[in-house]
Amino acid sequence: MTDTDLQRFLPLKTQWFHILLSLAGGEQHGYGIMQEVLERTGGKVRLWPATLYGSLKRLIETELIQESAERPAPELDDARRRYYRLTALGRRVLDAECERLQDLVRAIRVKQAMVTE
Amino acid sequence: MNFALRIYRRLAEAFPHEFKLVYGADVVQLGEDVAVEIAKQHGVGGLIRLIADIAIRVVVEYLSEMRRDLRYAVRALIKSPGFALVGIISLGLGMGVTTSVFSRLWAQLFRDLPGVANAQELVMSQNPVSYYYSERYREQKSLFAGVAAFQNGVPFNVALRGNAKPERVFGQLVSPDYFSVLGVKPQRGRVLDPDIDRPGDAPVVVITDRFWRNRLNSSPDALGKTLRLNGQTATIVGITPKDFRGALPFVTAELFVPVTAPAALAPELANDILHKRDAKVFQAMMRLAPGVAIDSAEAGLDTITRRLDDQDTSKPVRGDKGRRVTLLAGRAVLPIPRALKPVVVGFVAVLIGLVLGIACMNLANMLLARGAARSKELAIRLAVGASRFRLMRQMLTEGILIALLGGLAGFGLAYWLSMLSSQLKLPSAVPQDFDPNLDWRALVFTFALAIVCGVGFSLVPALQATKADVAPTLKEGAVTQLRGYRRFGMRNLLVVGQVAGSLMLLLITGFLVLGFSKTGNVQTKFDANTMYLLSLDPVRDGYSPERAEALFEKLPERLKASAAVQSIALAAEAPFSIASRTAQLTAAKDSSDPSRLKLVVKETVGAGYFATLSEPMLAGREFVERDQRLETSADGSKAVALPIVLNESAARGLFGNGNAVGQRVTEDKQLYDVVGVVRDLKNGIADEDQPASALYVPLTRRDFASPPAGGITIMVRSDAGTDALGGIRREIASMDPNLVVFDVRTLGEYLEFSRSFMRIAVDMYGGIGVFGLVLAAIGLAGVTAHAVARRRKEIGIRMALGARKAQVLRLVLREGAVLVVVGTALGFLGAIAMVKILSTLTSIFAEAFNVTTNDPRLVVGAPLLLAALAMVACYIPARKSAKIDPIKALREE
Repeated sequence: MTDTDLQRFLPLKTQWFHILLSLAGGEQHGYGIMQEVLERTGGKVRLWPATLYGSLKRLIETELIQESAERPAPELDDARRRYYRLTALGRRVLDAECERLQDLVRAIRVKQAMVTE
Repeated sequence: MNFALRIYRRLAEAFPHEFKLVYGADVVQLGEDVAVEIAKQHGVGGLIRLIADIAIRVVVEYLSEMRRDLRYAVRALIKSPGFALVGIISLGLGMGVTTSVFSRLWAQLFRDLPGVANAQELVMSQNPVSYYYSERYREQKSLFAGVAAFQNGVPFNVALRGNAKPERVFGQLVSPDYFSVLGVKPQRGRVLDPDIDRPGDAPVVVITDRFWRNRLNSSPDALGKTLRLNGQTATIVGITPKDFRGALPFVTAELFVPVTAPAALAPELANDILHKRDAKVFQAMMRLAPGVAIDSAEAGLDTITRRLDDQDTSKPVRGDKGRRVTLLAGRAVLPIPRALKPVVVGFVAVLIGLVLGIACMNLANMLLARGAARSKELAIRLAVGASRFRLMRQMLTEGILIALLGGLAGFGLAYWLSMLSSQLKLPSAVPQDFDPNLDWRALVFTFALAIVCGVGFSLVPALQATKADVAPTLKEGAVTQLRGYRRFGMRNLLVVGQVAGSLMLLLITGFLVLGFSKTGNVQTKFDANTMYLLSLDPVRDGYSPERAEALFEKLPERLKASAAVQSIALAAEAPFSIASRTAQLTAAKDSSDPSRLKLVVKETVGAGYFATLSEPMLAGREFVERDQRLETSADGSKAVALPIVLNESAARGLFGNGNAVGQRVTEDKQLYDVVGVVRDLKNGIADEDQPASALYVPLTRRDFASPPAGGITIMVRSDAGTDALGGIRREIASMDPNLVVFDVRTLGEYLEFSRSFMRIAVDMYGGIGVFGLVLAAIGLAGVTAHAVARRRKEIGIRMALGARKAQVLRLVLREGAVLVVVGTALGFLGAIAMVKILSTLTSIFAEAFNVTTNDPRLVVGAPLLLAALAMVACYIPARKSAKIDPIKALREE
């Protein structure tokens, strides 16, 4: 997988980015992803259920995430739910997107500095 | 809250099967988990958001599945290009022809008259009326908001400047309220107005946008300019809007002259025609008063007409009970009787149905065969969890994709056909102006047709293919059920239907083709290219009737003096034209007996007409110059007996085998003396089996004073190779350089031209018939090939047990033969029934069918041709069966 192959995923759709970001810390189920995104963004971004699963389906199809076969420790396991985790490709796409966003932020900072001077 | 969750769950159920299988439970679960929290946080708005989210996702999921189906379908078609190509071509042909027929029919029967207001309120009298009657109709304020009278196809010799060479332009003579009845506002200037345009005013003319653009180069100062119309000066007072093409727009109209104009400007208005109650030469266009239905208007108008007829004491009282007035819906471009509409639409629908039905059955057959071959693939997909609905949708998508591609090709074909027909000129003296362009309706029609066809031909195969029993199909041998020859199998039914449909199509179109082509053939006794036809209309060049008459008296003599001319004659129409006028004749002694009336074609010809056509008289004499000087009047009230010539059929019909010459016949009140009898000549609608009776009356002063739309035709015979035409033109120019000579051509060219219309009809219907035939053959070949492939193992066993090749071949062919015979029989009966129905419904088809339904060439030939072709189509793939190697076939398992 070369850099140009990664580029075709970028920029990531907002929901996709938030989902991938929530899975960066480890595997997670749908409800967990939704809660994490909600907390992380201070309630600003809510992934509505059907959209969430639609996005998960497409992320699986594009092989950015996969369903996890392992279950977490039994006391944390919610047997009703399916767990998802990043694939190697997903992690690289996420990294590439983060880098792109950081570049953007840097560009904004430089501009702000120029304006305030 | 609970209510919202109920909707939510219901929507979750609506997800596509495969999505539901994997995520359905999770989506419901998550929705239930967060609903309380959302309700707390966002209130009702949040719950609505939740439901909206899932509703949108359901649609998105379906769309994405459709996209996948489509991708898969494209791949499947690319993998079998032969199948795709045959499908696209056959559907494209079918849909192209139907779209073209549909759009023409629609344009003529259902599209509103372009450029007029509230077209649905307009009605037209089916038969022409006199101007006098139209004025009485106008007084019926309770029935009509307005009544306009007009004549269309009126020729004018128009010169743009005083000394310019005039051109022949066609227009309409209209009552001053014509535009207000139609609701047409001027683009520039004013339209005609009963308050402004009064008899005796200086002549004015309203021109169309087309005239303004093409002849005046859209000149901004066209208004107020004067034109010379038929030698008289008329002022342009207005220009009509761009899309307005006049009432009855299929006859070209470029300008509108009010009936208040002097008769010198429009010879049609001579003889005080506006006040003659029986001069039925005007079309009446009426606008219904608010709330009046067409039926009550017709009844009311009938009563008034009856009263007006009874007031006319010069006519015998008519005791008939039938309606004297029939109203047509005036909104259509081509108004036809209301009762006829369903018949015309029905006939076209039957034709379209047959063409598309055959194409669809053909594709359904091929898909059935393919479906059987794909049963393994489908069984695997069913086994791994695809729903049957999903697979059917997949197959329907493939069908619709083919149909849409076919529709695209069909629309291209229809476009090409419309381009072709816009260049087509109809054989008539007045230019015809059909608007053959396809519009968005045609596009919508083709699209709808494609969807219907796509679903139509792929639904049954899809149902059949996905019915496959998973377990046995997955086992090694793809051909498991040895069903062999199922009498009522779907596929056999389709083949029978296809053969029957093709034969019906072939017979119906064949009847029409033969009917048309029989009517078009003219054999002249001389080389048709040695006769020149030219037309003159001196009255419209500003001649007075007396001068016109003098000109026509002088002209033949002057031309005869020219060395190149062998013989010359005048006529009101070119010879062998499609007869437009008819008359009811009786022998004078039988005139009181209405059952002895004989319908004849009426032609007006000049001195030496038959000699110029190299037709010797069978008895008596033909017309001489003296006959041309006779005085007649429009209604025949001056009872001068006119000399006439009858053709053989008319003479026999009126006088049996007795001598017709010297006898008297009457038409209405006009007396005729029969002076000659001539062989039956073709006149465009008759054929050799049923020649039409014909009556020839001499050209008289009245014809010279007010020639028909085609002018007076001069027929000149000359030796082959001499430059007769140049000499004639020079001679006419030397008599008067301002005379407009038009429609110059040889008789050969004219016949070619007048037959072109028939030939196109023949080509079109013949093409449709052949198209059905070819499709039926392709379908049968495909089915037989598939049957052979399926029965490979059975045939292998038979051969291993000692069956000979011929026996195997017979086995396969027998199956095809039964289908073909059954289909042929059904198709034959169907065609006969259809012809009977169509013939009883309308005389139009009855005429065409009548002459040909007994033609053995068709009745016997068409089924034989079809059956033979079908058997060949069976034989070619069946031959393969004989080549099956039993060892190989048995080892394949």
